[in-house]
Parts: sequence; C-alpha cells; structure tokens
Amino acid sequence: MKVQTRIRWWPWAAVALSLVVAFTLSMISPRDDVQGELVRIMYIHVPAAWLAYVAFFMTFVGSLTYLLTKNLRWDRIAAASAEIGVFFTGLTLVLGMIWGKSTWGVWWTWDARLTLTAIMFFVYLGYLALRRTTDDPVARASRASVLGVLGAVQIPIVHFSVVWWRTLHQPPSIVRPDSPAIQEPLMLITLIVGVVAFTIIYISLMIKRIELTHLEDQLTEIEHSTDQPVAGEAVVVPELGARP
Amino acid sequence: MKRYWKFIVPAGIVVVILIVLMISLNSSLVYFNTPTELTEQAADGGRLRLGGQVVPGSVADTTAGVTFDVTDGRESVTVVHVGAPQQLFQEGIGVVVEGTWDGTSFHSDTMLVKHDETYTSDEGDYDPNHPTGDGSDEA
Repeated sequence: MKVQTRIRWWPWAAVALSLVVAFTLSMISPRDDVQGELVRIMYIHVPAAWLAYVAFFMTFVGSLTYLLTKNLRWDRIAAASAEIGVFFTGLTLVLGMIWGKSTWGVWWTWDARLTLTAIMFFVYLGYLALRRTTDDPVARASRASVLGVLGAVQIPIVHFSVVWWRTLHQPPSIVRPDSPAIQEPLMLITLIVGVVAFTIIYISLMIKRIELTHLEDQLTEIEHSTDQPVAGEAVVVPELGARP
Repeated sequence: MKRYWKFIVPAGIVVVILIVLMISLNSSLVYFNTPTELTEQAADGGRLRLGGQVVPGSVADTTAGVTFDVTDGRESVTVVHVGAPQQLFQEGIGVVVEGTWDGTSFHSDTMLVKHDETYTSDEGDYDPNHPTGDGSDEA
C-alpha cells in the first residue's frame, strides 16, 4: 500500500521565514526606557502566549464541532491544536520565568496570572493524557471533546486575570480595554509582526501535524488489514483445559 | 436526549465549582495590598505584601538596605527594606515588598520590581555601565 498523503515542504519554509523576520525585528527595535535590552524577551513571550490562546481556541472549535457533527476529522484538529498549545504554553512559562527573574527579581511567584497559566498548562496536559486512556477513536473523541470545550473557559480568565485581579504581572499592552500602551512605533510594529509570525508558525505546524495524523491513520489501517496476530508466531496461545 | 446530559451535567458541575472558587479566592487572588488598604488596617504582625510606586525623592540608602516611600496616589507608606534592592529599582517604578506592618512603617526583606505595561524607547541615552537601567538618573 502506497502512502497517499501529500507531504508539503512550504510550511517549514514559512516557519523559517517567520522566525527570521521576527528575530531580526526584535533585534533592531529600540531598547526600553526602563528595562533596556530585557524588553526583547517580550517579542517572543507575548507571541508565544498568543499562539497558545489561538491553539486552545481551535481545540475548543474542533471539540465543539465534533460533539455536534460526530465527524472524527474535527477531533483530530482539536488534538493537533492542543499539542501545539501545550508546547507554546510551556514556552511562554519558561520565557516568562527568564523575564521575571531579570525584571521582578524572582523566577516564579503565585500571582493570579502565573498560577492560572500554570493550571491551564496542566489542564491541557491532562487533555493529552485523557486521549491516551483508550484506543477506540470514537470513545477517545467523545471524552476529549468534553474537556476540550470546558477547558476553553480558561482562555479569557487567563488573559484578563491581570485586569480583574491585582497581580505582579503587568496588564496587557495591546489586547485590553484601552488603546495600546506602546507608543514607540517600531516596538509596536515588532510586537505585531511577532504575533503575525507566530500565527503563521501555528498554521504551518497544524498542517504538518495533520499530515502526520493521516500517516498514522494509514499505518493503523495497514496493521489492521493484514489479519495476523500482533506477536506473530512468537507467542503460542495457551489452551486452558482443552486437552484431555 | 441522553447523550446531551452526559455533557451538561459535568459542565454544570465545573461551572459551579469555578464560580465558588472565584468568589472564595477573590481575596487571595489579590497579590498585594495598597498603601491605602494598609493604613486602614491594624498592625497584627503578620506577613503581607505591599505594592505601589516609589515616591521620587524619598529613596535613601541605609547600612542594611534602603528606605523609600510607596504610594498608590492617595496614601503613602514608608518602607524600611533590608537587603539589596532589585536591579531595576528606581524612583517612580512600581514595587511589591514583602514583610510586616507596624502601624507606622513597613519592614520588608523581599522586594520585587513591578514594571508596567508601557514601553518606550530609551532614545539612545544608552549607558554601557547600566545596560538594563535607563542610565539617565546616573548621568
């Protein structure tokens, strides 16, 4: 049986180009008045957090659509998106810790934003673990979809935690009730380009991950089509009480 | 109809738990007290956090650390900090300090710098000796 999934090369090119543009801009944009060079961490930290929000929102859309249509295709989209979201939430946390150590003075503190982000990370890690509790694609999709829908409640809570409660983490600079808080045009452009670049990276990773899912499905199909015992002739099935 | 209940019941439970958590955690989700809140409460010797802006002109070095006033725009509280101040510590910046309140001043041993969400270019007044500070208050 031949592999029937088209392997695209351009998502990798898009990822590379996005990274180069975002990195170059973040290096030529000016130092911050207070933070100096440290402000450059923002140009990865904020886009990474944005990507995580987008990814978990797509998990919500995929899960909800699965529950309504029972089409497994949507469950695959939800799963692929959750994997990417977990990775970039982790990246956001690590970058935030590095930034926090150098500006606040601590790697970690239990303020509302940091705590809720950590909870979101573990909830979606739980989502991925839940997917491994069964091999049955339909049962897996139903269980995961419920969590995929409920988990999305956290996205606005995490984002607006810094507005609703008094936290150490600063409030958002762009997506907030007022106009953007970044006056310097090159800084604002760098941040927006970073967010666009990470959105392109998300789409590219999704395309590659769904390609991989198709390949996995084909592999499973091949394994199931050849009607053989899993262990071949290496294992002899014991016969209980059959012999006289 | 049955399969909708499978979804609605856990969803309802989760929402109720979330609401109860939010209400009960509302006070502990507040990371620090403001100077106004601090001056309104009695000194009970417990550890707490105080946050606000460092009042310009109030910063003075001591043998053990630094003293300064912290304000929220209405009240200000004198902080006696033991230990080295944070790298970004300067007049006008936000700080969160941890320690005890004795009714007249706040005795802190832990300082966090709370930078705000505004960013501006340093317009080229770069001081290589202070690559992370703004350099202008030293020059």
